[in-house]
Amino acid sequence: MALASAVVYEMGRQSTFDWPIADDYPLPLVPKGNPMSNAKVELGRWLFHDVRLSRNQTVACATCHIQQLAFTDGKPRAVGATGELHPRGSMSLVNVAYASRLNWANSLLAHIEDQALIPLLGDNPVEMGMGGREVEIAELLATEPGYRRLTQLAFPNDKDPFSVLNAVRAISAFVRSIISFEAPYDHYLAGDVDAISDSAVRGMELFFSERLECFHCHGGFNFTDSTTHASTSVERVGFHNNGLYNLGHSGAYPPDNTGLYDMSGDLRDMGRFKAPTLRNIALTAPYMHDGSIGTLGDVVDHYARGGRLIENGEYAGDGRLSPYKSEFVVGFELSDQERTDLLAFLDSLTDQSVITNERWSNPFRP
Amino acid sequence: MTKRPTRSAKRPSSLVLYAGILFLTVACSAERETVRLQFGAVWQGATIDCNDGDISLTDLRFFVSDLALVDKLGELHPIALLEDDRWQQSNIALVDLEDGQGRCLNGTSDRHATLNGTADRADFVELRFSVGVPFASNHANPLRASAPLDDAAMHWHWRSGYKFLRAGVSAGDDSTWIHLGSTGCAGTVQNIESCRSPNRVKVSLPVVSTTSRIGVDLSVLFSGVDLANGEPSDCSSGPAETDCAPMFEALGLPFGEHAALDSSVFTVLP
Repeated sequence: MALASAVVYEMGRQSTFDWPIADDYPLPLVPKGNPMSNAKVELGRWLFHDVRLSRNQTVACATCHIQQLAFTDGKPRAVGATGELHPRGSMSLVNVAYASRLNWANSLLAHIEDQALIPLLGDNPVEMGMGGREVEIAELLATEPGYRRLTQLAFPNDKDPFSVLNAVRAISAFVRSIISFEAPYDHYLAGDVDAISDSAVRGMELFFSERLECFHCHGGFNFTDSTTHASTSVERVGFHNNGLYNLGHSGAYPPDNTGLYDMSGDLRDMGRFKAPTLRNIALTAPYMHDGSIGTLGDVVDHYARGGRLIENGEYAGDGRLSPYKSEFVVGFELSDQERTDLLAFLDSLTDQSVITNERWSNPFRP
Repeated sequence: MTKRPTRSAKRPSSLVLYAGILFLTVACSAERETVRLQFGAVWQGATIDCNDGDISLTDLRFFVSDLALVDKLGELHPIALLEDDRWQQSNIALVDLEDGQGRCLNGTSDRHATLNGTADRADFVELRFSVGVPFASNHANPLRASAPLDDAAMHWHWRSGYKFLRAGVSAGDDSTWIHLGSTGCAGTVQNIESCRSPNRVKVSLPVVSTTSRIGVDLSVLFSGVDLANGEPSDCSSGPAETDCAPMFEALGLPFGEHAALDSSVFTVLP
């Protein structure tokens, strides 16, 4: 793997951080207030895997973001430290450094540093449940010798570096460092024509076709239209209604998961969610914001139909007929071979290195 | 308003600025009187707390800001709160009427029921305040905020801003609660431009004293909730939350199609 010793512009001065990013890909944007450093990422790696960052010392960030599952948890919806069920599923953290917005449908969250406070401190639902216990996090940094040393290395210019703010900065830097550009598809793009199968190549052509329209929302090097990076002045932010629900023929979504509408109060935003990256998508089942589609094959069938039909129950309705559905979710017909090809292409986005590389693994594990 | 001596007449011209400021402080404080506003949780007129009962408090914490008294001539006299590094800034205070006991599972043991401040000496007829945090403070970084805005239980990272009000009651196996805050905000965290639904509650109460007792009547706030059907209801201020409509109405806030009304949740206690 080529380690580009990339020069990034931070805090009005140049600093170096070893991004595992080949020259073919742009570098992430890094907030000025939290420049990257190896020491900070290492501190964040320990904190990310530390159950002492939860109210009852039962869950760490890594509990819902498991490296082997491309930093998801395999559950339809996340479960917090106290057993509370989250309305939505844990999102992959792979390449989240490029996300112009964090979370499934929160237009306000542009930085990991802001997003991280929600699972850490939020109480509705309780995820890690540390709200009101921030001092315990600061004390952990200040009193445990290993953390004390790492914190001083990570924040050498701070008079008092042992703060929850710095803990959040370190966790954010670690999460920002989780980069995946080593999938077979990347090697194919770099010139290794044998890196993916002929079936996957055909699937790639289908994926990028106007017939299937996948790329409108899952386009670009990170396979999501909510992407930004250091080489662009354009911040792209996309939220889409993909026809999962149509309660009472009104277009409504289940009330605990209305997507961007919950933020804006504008009915046109009903059911609009962010298109997640498709990198490592074969590892992140079940799918959709609420984990309501079990397999990638079923996801393809959902888009082929152009929306989901729920015949019975409280969520009954035909999502295909939703007045709020994206213009790009129009449905298509696939032969069995084409369906196989498309899934082969999606499989070619699985990067074995990001799920095994020790730089993102649990440091507490012997 | 004519009782205050003119400052220039009493200030020696040779006094240095520092001494001048000191003098002014003393001169002004002589004209002011103490304000003590005592808040209490009530249900149909009777005091309630976190202990088990027919109706138990499960939470009651809220921010008040922009406190002012109105005199007989209609003139507004802002109340300057005494800063105490825990509950009060000069213009923002956290009122905490739960004690973490009984049904208040996620509460804190310390309470802050009485706001302390000063105001001009005058004959007052009305007390005004907002339940909420002013816009600029509401969307600043909470991890850098001063007390009481550093209270994590009151911050709402999801919506960028504070929970202006956390209130809840339980009745046997049934319960209800509300978290009130600004929604529909545009921009991004630390760069919020505006909010479609600010959801600050404007309270106006008839008072003749600067030491009034003010009741928060949760039976009014939750008057639209059936507390006997065994189905807990809650409101997180979201536009799709049907449970919110009657609570917003009680607070006098607009919700969806419903227009703003007068609120009678806050009352002057005898």
